[in-house]
Amino acid sequence: MPLPATDKRGLPAPVIAAAGPAGAVRGRSAAGLLVGVAVLTVLFLVRFLVPTPADGAGMANAARDFATLSISVVIESLPFVFLGIVLSIAVQIWLPEGLLLRRLPRTPFLRRIVLSLLGMLLPVCECGNVPLARGLMVNGLTVAESMTFLFAAPILNPITIITTQQAFGWDNNILVARILGGFLIANLVGWIYSRHPRPADLLTPRFQAACAVDDHHGGQQGKSARSVRMFVQETGAMMPALFIGAALAGIIQVAVSREVLVTLGSNPVWSVVALMLLAFVVAICSNVDAFFILSFGATFMPGAIVAFLVFGPMIDVKMLALLRTTFTSKTLVQLSVLVALCAAVLGLAVNYVH
Amino acid sequence: MFTRRIIRRWQGVALSLIGIVATLWLGLTGQLALYIHPRYFVFTMVMAVIAAVLALAAFALAPAATDEHHHEKAETRATRWGWLWPAGSILTIAAAVVGLLVLPPSTLTTATVSQRGLNGSASALVQNDAGKLAGGDYSSFTVRDWASLLRSGAGADFFAGKTATVTGFVTPDKSDPANVFFVTRFVVTCCAVDAQPIGVPVYHPGWQNEYKNDSWVTLTSGFRPNPNSTSRESVVLIPDTITPVAQPAQPYVY
Repeated sequence: MPLPATDKRGLPAPVIAAAGPAGAVRGRSAAGLLVGVAVLTVLFLVRFLVPTPADGAGMANAARDFATLSISVVIESLPFVFLGIVLSIAVQIWLPEGLLLRRLPRTPFLRRIVLSLLGMLLPVCECGNVPLARGLMVNGLTVAESMTFLFAAPILNPITIITTQQAFGWDNNILVARILGGFLIANLVGWIYSRHPRPADLLTPRFQAACAVDDHHGGQQGKSARSVRMFVQETGAMMPALFIGAALAGIIQVAVSREVLVTLGSNPVWSVVALMLLAFVVAICSNVDAFFILSFGATFMPGAIVAFLVFGPMIDVKMLALLRTTFTSKTLVQLSVLVALCAAVLGLAVNYVH
Repeated sequence: MFTRRIIRRWQGVALSLIGIVATLWLGLTGQLALYIHPRYFVFTMVMAVIAAVLALAAFALAPAATDEHHHEKAETRATRWGWLWPAGSILTIAAAVVGLLVLPPSTLTTATVSQRGLNGSASALVQNDAGKLAGGDYSSFTVRDWASLLRSGAGADFFAGKTATVTGFVTPDKSDPANVFFVTRFVVTCCAVDAQPIGVPVYHPGWQNEYKNDSWVTLTSGFRPNPNSTSRESVVLIPDTITPVAQPAQPYVY
């Protein structure tokens, strides 16, 4: 064979060899499990052994509330994040490959509409969508179509819709504006980029090479092993963002004075701008961003909430970092400006109609 | 490089485990209500257990399933955000351990009451419509019901002869802190982040010598016109006795 060092998946030979004898694998698994159980036990011991004085260990009230608020964002969001990860593992690994792409309509316009609804079947938040969209492009989607999917899926997705409904109910049509707005913006972006003369220029040169060895094609490994690896990957991408986002949410709640928030929040224009900036910075997952922004619901106008809920899932610092793996910087700047303008218009419209 | 790779690879699982342990511990010791609405208890616990199984499976299976070489690149690309250098990761993990596993769980305090404005949220108060409340069984009324009635503008006549039994924590009144404090609770819709403070004013000159801010009290009293006519609150409770109590297991109202 002319491939001396690597197999089809691009794995170095020693890795394959090392995983070879079943006994060795079992040994390593047992050792790994032991490490896992040990870590879990240590964490439980810490929690049970640390004394919990009722008076908050002498912390100042503001510091206590910062901790309480941040912790509540984490505790509230975690189960939803885990649910998203479990579902995305199910869809990407346990469903037959290509099942979702096979029956797309031929007309580009209809194709994009169906693709933007694909999120309904792939309930992952935006961080999970980037690898998925890369996989879809490899499977034959155009760049514009993948953008439509990328921007629509985090909003038109059952978990996002449920959490938004839980947080806001039917108040002020926030839920409806979010769903329709997300759908329209994603399709508009898709339509605009479908008219690009050389769509390949939108992609980074490294992307083609990278997706050629993308995870979805490592089919020979056991499905359980791939599922577990995906869990490690997804938590690695989402947990730091969630924890940092929670801390930021707590700090803003405690540190920014009520007067500033109320002044900003009651102005139809500045409320939209302020919450879009916030969405860009906190980069919280679309699955749970409704819970995050709920606390602003009392002070900010509904259009600002809608702008936050539509803009955040599409563009934020974390998404730009993830998207940079696939799209050129110039494309991302264009996309950011375009989506920001659309979200601002949507927010202002809701504010003034309201 | 080795440490860096370990951190990058395992920080998500580490943070997950910290969150899982914190959730399970809060659930087992009955303290989840400090952070989230009771309707999420079962869902939260079930997902924590599922995630714990997956995390342990990651420890068991990941070493065997690792293909360091090509995977390494993918991870470098996927997670290279400004703040996420290894030091940042360690800091995040350390902060998560301190925040979720070391700090004692606690409710929100008077700091958040003043930050959010007592009785300032329409949604926390209007939900119980005053019409239904007016004819109800007053003995079962909560702080929230009374606060809603007071805010709905029912006058002193309406409150005459009615007796309230309320439990909450002590928050000073902004306009007349020497004489009036509020028996306060937070109304929670989803989780503590959206908590809105509501409260019933209590006239008790010199209360600050007896009760600390944030301490929990229960009292039974009739409503009276506020003796201090300059105060913003026109109708207040003037109790004979105020009993300090321990913080209830469900400190928030829903």
